Amino acid sequence: MAATDVIPPSEDAKLNMTPMIDITFLLVVFFMLTIDLSTKEYIPVELPYATEGVEDKEDPNTIVPRFIVNLTREGKIIFRGQEFDLASADPGIQDDNIQALKTALRQVHNEGGGTALLREPDGASKVPVMIHADWGAKWKYVQWIMQACADPQIKIYKLHFAVKKPPTEDGN
Amino acid sequence: MHLRLEEPDQTELNMTPMIDIVFQLIIFFLLSLKFKTIDERIESMLPKNMGTDIRPSPAPVEDKITLRVFRRNVERSEHAYTFVKLDGALQFRLPMGWQGRAGESPARVREYDATLAAITTALRERVAIYGGPASGVKGEIVAPPPQGGSVPHGDVVALLDSFLAVGMTDVRFEGAAAPR
Repeated sequence: MAATDVIPPSEDAKLNMTPMIDITFLLVVFFMLTIDLSTKEYIPVELPYATEGVEDKEDPNTIVPRFIVNLTREGKIIFRGQEFDLASADPGIQDDNIQALKTALRQVHNEGGGTALLREPDGASKVPVMIHADWGAKWKYVQWIMQACADPQIKIYKLHFAVKKPPTEDGN
Repeated sequence: MHLRLEEPDQTELNMTPMIDIVFQLIIFFLLSLKFKTIDERIESMLPKNMGTDIRPSPAPVEDKITLRVFRRNVERSEHAYTFVKLDGALQFRLPMGWQGRAGESPARVREYDATLAAITTALRERVAIYGGPASGVKGEIVAPPPQGGSVPHGDVVALLDSFLAVGMTDVRFEGAAAPR
């Protein structure tokens, strides 16, 4: 055997991309199925606790949307990206912001001309409003949101309060 | 005539742009992924005929159990507390300077829970006097302005939760009207 064996040059090596593409497509499908863009409407707040809450599950048979009205501890309402500050010391400014909230609720309700579909025969809205409020927000601000919803030009009467189940003794 | 077509060279699909797009998609979904934070809700229905009435309606003759909530020492948050009266007789005081369940010691959380449990027990006894929740007895949470409006939303929800825990689902709210 010669001391200087020469290793023959290998053929052009090619990476087999098929398994990687398979996995990548599976990842895309997974993310597409699990993504829930509706959560983008929620802002981070510390929710109140309640033991009697029901599971927050939207009815799959309904086409009626749900409005999410966020309320921070400081008294700022955030609805569809718009802010309405209720914490002002000036009642005039507070009133302006409540009127602006009513306008926003009315506009969003009437979007797309689907108003007739979203109302009961008596004119009451089928759309529920989720009040996603911080536990420390003043109760009067929540009441003002409720009053805005029940305005004769809006007529939203279904309200949901976002709550959390209190942790049990074992921390769950 | 017999034609013989030349075999084309072996063509290869260029996968690079597709893989680029797919990776972009993955990055988009990864960045926009946010797990749902809400698990539960309390459902309620506003009264259709009196939702925006700023004058308190004349008290109808009906069986009702009233919780009145007040906020004391509002000017000093560390001394502020929520005070609850059941039908004007029994009184309860939630812990002073309560910072929310997440910001309190286990002992203070137990104190808060014990007060709420006492309210629930007192409500249950009151409901039993009327013959149970099926008797049609109504609940009411009154937050008299101006101090009642400063009661934390979490405390009112906890009181609403107490009503629900004893089987009372018809609960009315009364409090400060919006400025106009």
